[in-house]
Amino acid sequence: MQGIVLFGVLACTYLMVIAKRMPALIRNFRYQSFFLFLATFVTAFQERQIDLYIIAGLLFVLKVIAIPYVLYRVIKRTKVNEDLGLFVNAQLSLLSALGLTYLSWILARHLVAPVDRVEVSTFTVALFMVSTGIFLMILRMTALAQIIGLLVMENGLFLLASMVSGGMPFFVEIAIFFDVFVSVVIMGFFLYRINKLFTHIDVNKLSRLKG
Amino acid sequence: MLIFFILGIPILLAAGAFFSKRPRVFGIINVFGYLSILLASIVLLKDIAFAGHTLFFFSFLYIDTLSAYFIFVISVVSFATALYSVGYIGKDMQSGAISENKAKMYYLLFNLFCFSMFFVPAVNNLGMLWVAIEMTTLISAFLVGFYNTKQSVEAAWKYIIICSVGIIFALLGTILFSYAFSLAGGAKSLNWTDMVAAAGGMDKNILKVAFIFILVGYGTKAGLAPMHTWLPDAHSQAVTPISALLSGVLLKTAIYAILRFGIIVIEGVGFGYFSHLMILLGLISLGVSCSFILVQKDLKRLLAYSSIEHVGIIAIGLGLGTPLAWGGALLHVFNHAVTKSLMFFGAGDIVSAYKRHNMKMIRGVIRVLPFAGVMTLAGMFALTGFPPFSIFVSELIIIIAAFTKGSYVVAVLFLLFIAIIFGAFAYQFGKMLFGNLPKGMAKAPEPLSGKLAFLFLFVQMLAVGGVVLFMKKDLLWIVQGLLTR
Repeated sequence: MQGIVLFGVLACTYLMVIAKRMPALIRNFRYQSFFLFLATFVTAFQERQIDLYIIAGLLFVLKVIAIPYVLYRVIKRTKVNEDLGLFVNAQLSLLSALGLTYLSWILARHLVAPVDRVEVSTFTVALFMVSTGIFLMILRMTALAQIIGLLVMENGLFLLASMVSGGMPFFVEIAIFFDVFVSVVIMGFFLYRINKLFTHIDVNKLSRLKG
Repeated sequence: MLIFFILGIPILLAAGAFFSKRPRVFGIINVFGYLSILLASIVLLKDIAFAGHTLFFFSFLYIDTLSAYFIFVISVVSFATALYSVGYIGKDMQSGAISENKAKMYYLLFNLFCFSMFFVPAVNNLGMLWVAIEMTTLISAFLVGFYNTKQSVEAAWKYIIICSVGIIFALLGTILFSYAFSLAGGAKSLNWTDMVAAAGGMDKNILKVAFIFILVGYGTKAGLAPMHTWLPDAHSQAVTPISALLSGVLLKTAIYAILRFGIIVIEGVGFGYFSHLMILLGLISLGVSCSFILVQKDLKRLLAYSSIEHVGIIAIGLGLGTPLAWGGALLHVFNHAVTKSLMFFGAGDIVSAYKRHNMKMIRGVIRVLPFAGVMTLAGMFALTGFPPFSIFVSELIIIIAAFTKGSYVVAVLFLLFIAIIFGAFAYQFGKMLFGNLPKGMAKAPEPLSGKLAFLFLFVQMLAVGGVVLFMKKDLLWIVQGLLTR
């Protein structure tokens, strides 16, 4: 089961790296979150813990339904061009993603004793997601890609926390979920404002403040 | 129970701001609220520092000397800011820059922002610490983008994105800490008190990597140098009272978080690792801020870069690690908070009188704003480390600690950068305060609440250094307690 989830999450992340348009990015984020939900739900079923059921439910409601919905709405309302604006083309992005995977694997092996294979691969995938998040934030021009990059990083951390250290304490997990959702709403709000004031959401052109 | 009072008042005031009909009257109520918080925090600090006890509430909140001290610093600056806000927001409302609803919004966000900052040092759970710090970012982003101009929205966007990424790294670091803790046989807990107790048995390798993530993450929020890029934008575009809060205490809450994790690392890995990283980042911050201060044209950005400088000084003090150096660094936290708030208030008055940020256009401040001008002059000398002001005392303590420890290179670089920064400040402020008055500038009004805020901060800026010199034995004893547990 863990293998399937890890593979699914990894595949979605790769799809995000090569996505050229905003809806594709959001859709793959939704799939990625769905795999995480599946993992949490199965663990909850096996361990019969009510806490985990609640966390899985929240994950489904917030990350599979609410956040993608908010993001789709933002695209529709701002009526911007749906192109992401790639600084590096899809092929090169894919190659860099491969490189990032390898680097994450090295760091994971440095941190975890190599006997435990599942733990090493979980670490690898999680660190890969974090680095991919940064990759998306830096090398895509639109502000929306930055929000999604942030969410991918956060998903990576959720995976790491749930599989490696047995999850955070319950109320911390809830607080973090709430926090992530609020931050997406607030960022969406600022995205509206940027679009209204600048008539674009190209962060590469936000360069009034210097020095 | 005092801590519930300190955390509760901002929430009550936030609700009050939401329902109040007249923002002007509410501003004054706000001041009294923060005065009561200030008094409560002094009592709390005294109780905990001298009676030496720490408090638990279901081990969710944890107050020791360190957290009581940071709560005290936050309460001082937030009281001064509440006082200054009355005049500043009143002026903005009069000139029509903001509507009455917007002023209500300001007080609501102000109180929520203060609540989230008070929450940071009070909480025991490291996951909740993360949530609290992220909360400070989310709330203050609105205050940075408050005027809704192109510049301010751009600054708010950069602020929220850079700080959120930074803080995600901090969460990664926190998870790695909890991983190390669970490998060491700990139960499922993120409580700082539990982690420190188990620090000796944690995997050194993981702790080292985890602390790097923590340092990058919370270091972004603290404004340490390679991660500081959001800071000048946000500080220069925020509403002026909020600039003072951002620079005076928000950066310090991040320093507090680094310190909490740092104590675990010191226990687990030994002092050298923590020390090298902190001194390195501190020196880079000093160097970067020094070069940007030299070429700066914008008044509020100049002060923002000076915040990076002072955070660097604090990091160096913490990195040196002798009780004397930690005492100096913690004292510097307070001194910088009051002095920089005073400077931002001065800058705010100047900017609203001259209607521009560019320092080349601002001349003859002393004649336009006699009171604020004199205060800014004193603040300028205090900020650059002149006696008899308190920053002089804390910087001197850190330099003495560096020499007695034998870190001559650090001490010399430190002195060099500070000397350059003093030159740049004296040049810029000398011209601004005393130059020829531009045509058509008349004397600007100075509201009473602003004057009171200046005086309140001025007394602390002047007196605390001297008081500390008399009480140095008590102080060193308290800091010693923090270092060796």
